[in-house]
Amino acid sequence: MTHNWKQLEKEFIEKIESAKDLNSIENIRIELLGKKGQINSLMAQMRTVAKEKKKEYGMAVNSLKQLTESLIAEKTAGLKEAEILQQIQEDKIDITLPANRGKYGTLHPLTVVQQEIEDIFIGMGYAVVEGPEVELDLYNFERANIPADHPSRDMQDTFYVDVNRLLRTQTTAIQMRVLEEEHDILPIKVVCPGKVYRKDDDDATHSHQFVQVEGLVVGENITVGDLKGSLELLARSMFGSAREIRLRQSYFPFTEPSIEIDVTCHICGGVGCPTCKNTGWIEILGAGMVHPRVLDMAGIDSKKYTGFAFGVGIERVAMLKYGVDDIRHFYTNNIKFLDTFKRFE
Amino acid sequence: MLITYNWLKQYIDLSDISKQQLADILTKAGHEVENFEDQAYGTNLVIGQVLSCIKHPNADSLHICQVDVGTDIRQIVCGAPNIAADQKVIVALPGCKLAGGEIKETVVRGESSKGMICSLSELNVDKKSLTDEQLAGIEVLDEDAIVGNTNVLEYLGLDDTVYEVSLTPNRADCLSFWALAKDLGAILNREVKLPDYRYSADKSKTDLIIDSQTEKAPYFVGTIINNLTIKESPAWLKKALNGVGVKAINNVVDISNYVMLETGQPLHFYDLAKIPAKEITVKNGLNEIYTALDGQKYHVLEDDLMITTENRAIGYAGIMGGEDSKIDENTRGIIIEAAHFNLVNVRNTSRRLGLFTEAATRFSKGIDPKAALTATERSIQLLIELADAENIEETVIFGDMGYKPTVIEASVTKINSLLGTHFKYDEIYQVFKALDFKPEKKDKDIIITHIPSYRTDIEIWQDLSEEVIRIAGYENIVSTLPKMPTTQARFAKNGKNRRMINAMLNGFGFNEVVTYSLVSQANIDEGILSVGTPVRIANAMGEDRRYYRTSLLPSLLDCVSYNVARNNHEYLLFETAQVYSDEGKERMHLSMAMSEKTTYSKWQNVIGKNDFYSLKGIVINILEKLGYDEKRVFFKPVSNPKELLHPNKSADVYLGKKLIGYIGHIHPLAKKKYEIDETVLAEINLDAVFSEKPSRIKFEKIARYPAVNYDLALVVEEKITAEQIISTIRKAGGSLLEVVEIFDVYRGKGISEGYKSVAVSISYRSNEKTLSENDIMPNHRQVLDQLSNRLNAVLRD
Repeated sequence: MTHNWKQLEKEFIEKIESAKDLNSIENIRIELLGKKGQINSLMAQMRTVAKEKKKEYGMAVNSLKQLTESLIAEKTAGLKEAEILQQIQEDKIDITLPANRGKYGTLHPLTVVQQEIEDIFIGMGYAVVEGPEVELDLYNFERANIPADHPSRDMQDTFYVDVNRLLRTQTTAIQMRVLEEEHDILPIKVVCPGKVYRKDDDDATHSHQFVQVEGLVVGENITVGDLKGSLELLARSMFGSAREIRLRQSYFPFTEPSIEIDVTCHICGGVGCPTCKNTGWIEILGAGMVHPRVLDMAGIDSKKYTGFAFGVGIERVAMLKYGVDDIRHFYTNNIKFLDTFKRFE
Repeated sequence: MLITYNWLKQYIDLSDISKQQLADILTKAGHEVENFEDQAYGTNLVIGQVLSCIKHPNADSLHICQVDVGTDIRQIVCGAPNIAADQKVIVALPGCKLAGGEIKETVVRGESSKGMICSLSELNVDKKSLTDEQLAGIEVLDEDAIVGNTNVLEYLGLDDTVYEVSLTPNRADCLSFWALAKDLGAILNREVKLPDYRYSADKSKTDLIIDSQTEKAPYFVGTIINNLTIKESPAWLKKALNGVGVKAINNVVDISNYVMLETGQPLHFYDLAKIPAKEITVKNGLNEIYTALDGQKYHVLEDDLMITTENRAIGYAGIMGGEDSKIDENTRGIIIEAAHFNLVNVRNTSRRLGLFTEAATRFSKGIDPKAALTATERSIQLLIELADAENIEETVIFGDMGYKPTVIEASVTKINSLLGTHFKYDEIYQVFKALDFKPEKKDKDIIITHIPSYRTDIEIWQDLSEEVIRIAGYENIVSTLPKMPTTQARFAKNGKNRRMINAMLNGFGFNEVVTYSLVSQANIDEGILSVGTPVRIANAMGEDRRYYRTSLLPSLLDCVSYNVARNNHEYLLFETAQVYSDEGKERMHLSMAMSEKTTYSKWQNVIGKNDFYSLKGIVINILEKLGYDEKRVFFKPVSNPKELLHPNKSADVYLGKKLIGYIGHIHPLAKKKYEIDETVLAEINLDAVFSEKPSRIKFEKIARYPAVNYDLALVVEEKITAEQIISTIRKAGGSLLEVVEIFDVYRGKGISEGYKSVAVSISYRSNEKTLSENDIMPNHRQVLDQLSNRLNAVLRD
């Protein structure tokens, strides 16, 4: 029996190539390689081949078998991939539908600002120190050079618990504690954040509870220049690198000289707008050189050491930074208000 | 404090300084100008006379006037009810700019109108200073007003600019306009010319007797003037007082006010006829009802300093005189009082009575000790000039003015080193000279200063350094940073932990809130983790804010309630804040509130249903992050019921043996009261947590051999807790036991009433080999036996 092997091979290749999908290739496989397939029937015909030609015949069938197997495998793989690609075409989602998104919570804006200030000063080597809100008259007033007759101690402004105790009206109280505790391990470099209380009726701009951050540096040869430089850094970190500061004369019982610090308006850049009431400047910080009496009372030699202190109201900064128009928003905590403060600063 | 541009202009040349510049200069030097405003505003105004005035034919409320404005006679339609013929009036000509806009020629209901007849409020005059009559209609001028005069604001005495200055408490001396002028002179480095108040009068011997029975009134200067004439003050005086908001009354009263403004020394004039004994004694200890010159009756208390004559009160010292000795049109003679009263006494009394008079304000802040004599002399001079004062007696001085000259040696080196500046010796000397500190050059470094009596704020050389930089200008300071040994930055105590808690709760979707620390009694009573007896505010603003809170949850529930009322039904809120007890305890607490529902994806219907276990998980996660392994955290049935928590859906939370807080569903009654949705709450005492030692991180080998798992379905009585099942298995399972996990709890079909089926997965593992059934069986049998013996658990088939 003779075969045109070349012809056969060509037929097989064409057949395999013609397969359009996985079904047809499977049918072709059965037709060619199945138990009753063409290859097997060619094998069966071996019996009829002359003895001397058997070897040649066998090799030809085998080679055809191998070729068929590999072509079918290749074709099958190709068709499988094509099918997946086809499926991908049909498998399409609307990527604009809303996310399955748990809400991420927010820090309170007062915390955001407080931490921002803390971090600026931590970067400059300051330690953050807190203190009691139910405070002794001693630290809130006496040590801060506010003796009994001083107008700042008016019953009008301070919540008293009894003769000795009150709700602190200023974070200066923390500074006075730091001065006492660290009077013999100078230098001191601290920032003191915390809630303070004043007897004020709550309205759009007043709150009986608010947050202050004060800073204190005591060492040798500390100058007003150092104060200015440090607060310039603060102003620029908080409100942008283009900010300038301006120092004005002021008065606090615990500092001498006392200074009010204005920052060029972050909204208009200093040309004048409603935020800065057309002055180009925004009043933001109270500061000064620690009064020598304050140092002496804490046991620090005011002839040898000097220091500066400053204070900033967190609500005011937050109102200016975020354009909040009513201080009460910070304490009513409407979730819609809180959700505004998504950003980390 | 109010002061006007013209007032200061009398003393200092301000010709090259604009009104805005003056405000800036004062502000920079520490006298902050909060506001400044022209007394009146209007361009193109002229005085006119109404020649005729007839009703407008087409409008009842309007009149048609022919008005002579000097240059021409023009028709103006006027709507004011008080318009009438022959009146002299203020006319705004077309083109005139007023605060309300520009005036144009117009036709009003068919009649042409070439201008407007003005009221004072249309000229932007402060409405508070106007009478009802002035507010209701046009301003009718005096007959002597000259028609055609275009300097209308000057004619009205309203051509000045009023500055509202906020003085710092240490510079109360500038409540004296003379002192403020001197300060301005130093700032501008210009000469200041104050009025010369010398006068010539022959003074007669006096029989005035002055006494003080209290050290609270150490100094009293009294002068009798026997004859004077009460009349209207001259225009300049009325205008000056009016400019700074002081009502002109008559020449004598006006002089006392004017001199007080000039010198800062409050004066009081008594009607001489009403003090026949010519005796004045200052005392306290009275207890009577007294009528002050405002006509009001006040109850005098023992601490109040009173001026008396013949043992009868005639004045609250330093605050307000009495009705029965006040100056009126019949007064023919007066006693002048210029005294020192204790500032704390004056402050307390004026505050108690709510009488914040100009005098009380000045005494409360401290006055120039020398001003009493100056003010007396100045007022005598003005009384001679403006009230025909005659028959003046010698001034009686009681006590000591208590003035001790302040002399301070200022080191140029020290001042520069405090300021961080490089001012030269002479520059600093010049500042002191400008301030009238009478500097003397002691040596190359030291300048001796003699502080004027009114500058009571200057006590030490540091005060002088402030003056130097204030006058020289803060722009001289160059920015530097402190040069000192390196300091170590650190967070506040537990500050880092707090930030971690914040970050985690944010991650769980919680918003941080900040609520008020001061709360009501009801709020205190509801607290569930109270730190102790609350701190009570003695002078609270009201009962709503009487106590410092001892627990945080009630405030958080108020906040939830506020949000639910505003339709925010999905809330995850937390707060960390301090609580205090009256015994002096201070703690930091964490409060949390979680609504039942959290929407993750509406269209996919992915909605979280939060319950006890959700918040329990959050608490455990936080504690683990802080270093407290879940194994150390225990949730136990509530030891005593709480008003805020559902008794059967809440737990006491323990860290080891320490109670650290409470967690649970809101009590249905509290839920109703706060009008909120189903909520899970927790309050944790963070200080209790932080005081426990955190666990260390320890590496454990990753298991090499497989685990063998068994799933058991146990039928137990309802009262048996998961905790009991797990701990029974743990104890019985031996060292091979690795994980015990509950994966289902089932009640219903197939399980008898009062029982539940709890499915538990148990795994055993060895670090040494793969376990066979034989290896595990002894342990597992022990587990089954113990479950059966201890918990009466039955395996469900």
